[in-house]
Amino acid sequence: MISIIGRTAVLVALAACTVGAIAGIYGGARRSTEALRWARAMALIFAGAMTLAVGLMEYALLTHDFSVHYVSQVGSLSSPTWIAIVSLWSSLEGSILFWAFILGVYAVWQTWFTRSRYPEYASWALGITLAVGVFFTFLVAGTANPFTAVSPVPLDGPGPNPLLQNHILMVVHPPTLYLGYVGMTVPFAMGAAALLTGRISPSWSRAIRNAMLVPWGFLSFGIILGGWWSYDVLGWGGYWAWDPVENASLLPWLTATAFLHSAMLMERKEQLKGWSMTLLLSSFLLTILGTFMTRSGVFNSVHSFTQTPIGPVFLVFLAIVLIFSVMLLAARVDKLTPPEEGLNGPNSRDTFFLAQNLTFAALTFTVLLGTTWPLINEAVTGDRISVGEPYFNRWGIPLGFLLVFLMGVGPALPWGRAAGSTVVKRFLVPLGAAVLVVVGCLVFGVDKPWPVAVFAVSGMALVVSVQEMAAPGLARWRTKGGSLGRALVEGSVMTRRRQAGYIVHIGVICVAVGVAASSGWRLVKELTLMEGQTTTVGAYTLTYLGEATQKDSHRTSSIARIHVARGDEELGELDPRMNVYPTMGRPLPSPAVRSVPGEDLYLSLVQLEPGSKVVSLQVVIQPMVWWIWFGGVIMAAGTILAAWPSRRSAAALAGAPVSPPRAPGAAPQGPAPGTAAGVTASATAGATAGATASVTASATASAEVRS
Amino acid sequence: MNWKVLAAGALIVIPLVTVLAMGFGQDPRALPNVMEGRTAPQFHLSDLDGMQSYDLAELAGKPVVLNFWASWCVPCAQEHPWLIRTAQQYEPRGVVFLGVLYGDEAVNGKAFLKRNGHAFPTLLDPGGHSALDYGVAGVPETFVISPQGQIVHKFVGPIEPDLMTELLERML
Repeated sequence: MISIIGRTAVLVALAACTVGAIAGIYGGARRSTEALRWARAMALIFAGAMTLAVGLMEYALLTHDFSVHYVSQVGSLSSPTWIAIVSLWSSLEGSILFWAFILGVYAVWQTWFTRSRYPEYASWALGITLAVGVFFTFLVAGTANPFTAVSPVPLDGPGPNPLLQNHILMVVHPPTLYLGYVGMTVPFAMGAAALLTGRISPSWSRAIRNAMLVPWGFLSFGIILGGWWSYDVLGWGGYWAWDPVENASLLPWLTATAFLHSAMLMERKEQLKGWSMTLLLSSFLLTILGTFMTRSGVFNSVHSFTQTPIGPVFLVFLAIVLIFSVMLLAARVDKLTPPEEGLNGPNSRDTFFLAQNLTFAALTFTVLLGTTWPLINEAVTGDRISVGEPYFNRWGIPLGFLLVFLMGVGPALPWGRAAGSTVVKRFLVPLGAAVLVVVGCLVFGVDKPWPVAVFAVSGMALVVSVQEMAAPGLARWRTKGGSLGRALVEGSVMTRRRQAGYIVHIGVICVAVGVAASSGWRLVKELTLMEGQTTTVGAYTLTYLGEATQKDSHRTSSIARIHVARGDEELGELDPRMNVYPTMGRPLPSPAVRSVPGEDLYLSLVQLEPGSKVVSLQVVIQPMVWWIWFGGVIMAAGTILAAWPSRRSAAALAGAPVSPPRAPGAAPQGPAPGTAAGVTASATAGATAGATASVTASATASAEVRS
Repeated sequence: MNWKVLAAGALIVIPLVTVLAMGFGQDPRALPNVMEGRTAPQFHLSDLDGMQSYDLAELAGKPVVLNFWASWCVPCAQEHPWLIRTAQQYEPRGVVFLGVLYGDEAVNGKAFLKRNGHAFPTLLDPGGHSALDYGVAGVPETFVISPQGQIVHKFVGPIEPDLMTELLERML
């Protein structure tokens, strides 16, 4: 029964999506509002039908309806409820279904935020989003149909892959990444719409940038969660292994991050339009490539689903989108030519945006080349090789370092040209901070060159970020007087998007410091303990108290109870375990981690023979891993703050009259054509480093301090 | 139309799609088998009871089938009857079959053999040194060693009985 309703729902979704795509594209080409209305209605039906399909699948999984093909593959009577729920994305067919459902949700979101604006672009953009939807729904309806009926009905199923059952993060990591991946469709469609119309208005480029923030935030958080999952599940004590699928999630993140920055120049100065569009299209293409990597079985990875029939179909889709993107870009890029004004000299923020963008592009290229090199090599020479950490570290570390450095330099520079003396003044404090960090490290005996260099530039970037966050408030305080605290709060509220950007920067700094410290001082030791025996590793004293066993419905765990102390301080018990799943021959280790800001103690079971009173452990001690996860949370918070719809745009969407901004001298939203975009009236003050800060009170959150 | 952009795009798109398309039909999990064709590493190990020891050097002149297994390993149990049948068939013809217990205790190994039957001795590999020498990544892995002491083939996962028969026939 579920099988039939499910298939019907998917077919309805496919039909709605196809009609909607055609209507949207027709509406874009012919400027037909009637067609656009159709496209919007179809988007809603598409989303509704996909929601029904996903709901049915969840119901089938929860009720163990093994007559549904997908449930017979990943369901199991012994699975606890949470595993039954997350089984939806534990295997190929379910994950594609989930994917199409998320696309439906995004299509509704896109319909909502373009509902009374951007008539020029909205139809094209929705048409393209739905066209992408057609492909995924087609997969669900055909090649990867999870609703196929099974006869005779099996009595039980194997349950999902044990690696996926092993950690609660499986609940959040895949959906977060999917929300990032799938969401890239929206800015892609909007960018393609701009290219199709041959023009990008500043308000549309702002809309694209906002639409990019949402999937970008999910992608960032998803990548960090993935690292966390790998750290907590795989038992080798690392969080990043340059696995092809990890790279697949990093690649679109790199280009999307570059786009978020270049789009600021596009929005503000109408520059770098062609380049920004290239980054935008690439981000989507790389998500498709990434999906292809996981789903095609061409790459070897912990993530890949083996032997799937959808590889070739996916490759055809990838090729179509690639060709479409290249043709579109080639046909329209000349129409987007920037106005006369070129980039400013080397002392300007513009130049550093460009440098940063080029670094991101170089890093993207390096990672892409390393990831596909085994395939290229095999195609050319017939030999199978693998490209490992040394290659990625050799190029990735310097480029990553350069990015943190640019993050410390760029924001301190004014937009436009600046005198040398201004630059020197602006950098006195940040450079001082960097020097202080280096001296501090050397005094405390921390002398590894790369980590210390990362700490130094991170210190600089942190100071610059804090300075830039405080600048609007300080400027306000100087002009208006009153309480400093109040001015800082008001200044921050008025410049929300800018503040959010620097919060994300601070999150990135935390991650950079965490990565540098944890990879710089990693202590790994394997040891064997008898019951009751005590040993010391680093500053810790470990005592093996004995073994325990825990039986759950879906697995049996052998647990080693290890008592941990540091000096005289009792730290309690850590219980690394080995989980045995009936469907997997090999037991899976589940490490126990004590994670505090200073240092992680990571215990992973190597061997535990029941009844033998002996345990073999791998002990990993790494400083500051905690900061990576913490940085991820800060980045997520910053992104939410940046992407939150502003009161003004919400009001505009609701069709309500927009009340004029309260602050004196603020200009209405939208720059006059021909002027540098986003120029707003200034509440000028001679700010510290000779810069003139001008603060807009426009609640569009596009306010910026400008020189 | 901007021909430069088009050319640059084509330069990236065509090779990328070609390479990805060529990736089909290959098993990315197949490990490059560095051991095949090499001289089999020496070992000197004793059996589960500690009664008798075996040395590869002393077995020179005979084909050897070396099977790494463990009692906790499901695929090992799966291939076990195949191994027994092949051993019963080829041991009389001079092929030496040896099991090596991997990551397991002698007690468990004995219990497994008692339960599932056995046709050839299983050796203990304290510290897993031989497994390391042979580059064993997991169990089961089975090495077919020629009378000259060369590794002819390595089965990763359960043995394929037909291929095994073919390999042994070729050496006899």
